[in-house]
Amino acid sequence: MWADPATIAPMTYAVQLADVSFGYGEDFSLSIQELTLKTGEMALVSGGSGSGKSTLLWLIAGLLRAQSGSITVAGQRMDGVHESATDRIRARHIGLVFQTHHLLPEFSAQDNVALALMAAGEPEKSHAARARDLLNKLGIERITVPVANLSVGQQQRVAVARAIACKPTIVLADEPTASLDDASASQSMDLIQQACQEAGAALLCASHDRAMQSRFERVIQVDSFATTKRARAKPGARA
Amino acid sequence: MNDISIVVNSLRARRLSTIITASSVAVATALLLTMLSLRTASFEAFQRGTGTTHLLVSADSSPLTAVLNGVFYANAPSNPISWAKYQEIKNAFPYDWAVPTQQGDSFRGFPVAAIAPEFFTRFEPVRGEPWQLAQGQFPSKPFEICMGSTAAAATGLRMNQKVFLTHGSGSSREGEHAHEHAEYPFTVVGILKPSGSAHDRVLFTDLDSSWILHAHDRREREGVEGLTTLADLKDEDRKITGILLRLPTRPGRDASAAVQQQFDSLRRDTSIVVAQPAQQIDRLRNIIGNVDELFIALGVAVLLSSGISILLSMHNSMAQRRKQIALLRALGLARMRITGMILMEATLIGFAGAIGGCVLSLIGNAIASGSLKARIGLVVDPTLDPRSTVIIVAGAIVLSALAGVLPAMTAYRTPVADNLRPEA
Repeated sequence: MWADPATIAPMTYAVQLADVSFGYGEDFSLSIQELTLKTGEMALVSGGSGSGKSTLLWLIAGLLRAQSGSITVAGQRMDGVHESATDRIRARHIGLVFQTHHLLPEFSAQDNVALALMAAGEPEKSHAARARDLLNKLGIERITVPVANLSVGQQQRVAVARAIACKPTIVLADEPTASLDDASASQSMDLIQQACQEAGAALLCASHDRAMQSRFERVIQVDSFATTKRARAKPGARA
Repeated sequence: MNDISIVVNSLRARRLSTIITASSVAVATALLLTMLSLRTASFEAFQRGTGTTHLLVSADSSPLTAVLNGVFYANAPSNPISWAKYQEIKNAFPYDWAVPTQQGDSFRGFPVAAIAPEFFTRFEPVRGEPWQLAQGQFPSKPFEICMGSTAAAATGLRMNQKVFLTHGSGSSREGEHAHEHAEYPFTVVGILKPSGSAHDRVLFTDLDSSWILHAHDRREREGVEGLTTLADLKDEDRKITGILLRLPTRPGRDASAAVQQQFDSLRRDTSIVVAQPAQQIDRLRNIIGNVDELFIALGVAVLLSSGISILLSMHNSMAQRRKQIALLRALGLARMRITGMILMEATLIGFAGAIGGCVLSLIGNAIASGSLKARIGLVVDPTLDPRSTVIIVAGAIVLSALAGVLPAMTAYRTPVADNLRPEA
């Protein structure tokens, strides 16, 4: 089910959150009165470990459901609609980059990128060519071998290519440099930011690394949204 | 990229597990198909011996015994029919042919049947397949033997070899109590090609020779010395144990009504037993039907266990695939679509297994067909019956798809966010 056209907001903003609340029982909760990200804007979500950075990203991606409030991505409401509608919005308008890449190891680089195009509903015959072009542009040459055979750096490039393959409105990057040394982290962020810029996508990057703040004009402190935070975090449930 | 390519890639990634589970389906499918083929073959083997016979007359205790003895050579019929009775039956109706047979002797445990020449010229052991000689000729004069293919292969007898028959079913030479007709050597003059019927186990000779052997025994008991000849035969020596009858038919016409009428007519004579071989074989099939149903049940059980192995294999793999499923969901693939992919995976394993099973069964049947025909004369059609093949293949695929339901439900319920977080 597509979002009601009446609820579609103008495309000035890539993301709008209003009066959003979300919690894991009594252990943890987030309350966001207002948060917007303009089209093409790049922002860093900063905060300590377990502060809710990833939770915020998952809420925007529709992978977690807010208990109240509204979340709009690319002018389309993610809340109050059927799960299949959020799936379609995510496929079409949101690119995801993960700390551990989450590539399908047995698939080739080309197939990993083609997966995103398939999910976005792009015509099948265009998948291979578009994936190839994008990967070549990002400097990946061995596009038909399983990604498990590529270096970590190349895998990151493939992950970025997958995130921007369907020309998303926003790329959500969850701790993309957490497992990298400083030099690699810098190169990696250059790649992500440049790719988003060229694709015209907004970027919301979650990182606990304070050194990242200098790369972004805007830094969102997620700690300010956390209303409850106890020492005992729900296993595997938050950043 | 499409759903099928994702499924195929996923199967390829778990190559070993996929091959093992598909192989288990293949073996189960092949087992079922082969069992059905053998069942059909055994039923057809029963049908084959009756050939073009409409009615069988004997003096056995029941029609079924008459068929078992007269067509399948289970035992030598115990009660004889006089030659006069044969003439009476033959002349009472314009039969297409009436072939007298006489059993009672044997050679190394293989039955010997004395027959009239029409047995080879008119009777066909399998409808549309007349007798064919592998070597030599049919018996044309007394004390000549023509051997069935199985008997020839088992005894190792060759053309022009001399053999001595044994009275009864004991083994010649080796039989302690068997009486050997040592005065009358028979010469092997022909070896038949396999007919795929019980006749392949038989040594055939002419009626006169058989009558001379038994007249000789009588004369010995009477104290008469010297060899017996045709001139010494009395009416009481001319005994037979069965008559194969065929009514005249016209091409394309159903003779069953006429056969039934003649069957009823002959049954009025209480000194003989009349059997319609086809009916008796159906009775036999009903009697032994339960046994082969057990084998089919065994095959179905194997198929079920292969379904369970698919379920276990996929269910175990789901733990390792949570991240993959979560990623596909994160990319925007709907739950139902991923559920469908898991079901498709199970179905593809079943499909590959079922097709593999058909190929396996075809190869096995082809090998078994040649071997069984050569060794025991059983004719197994190496091709697969389309109806049962479709049912078994469809069953294997449906079962495999059902085996995928539980893993598919696991995939459906896989939480996305939890499985995308880096492991601690």
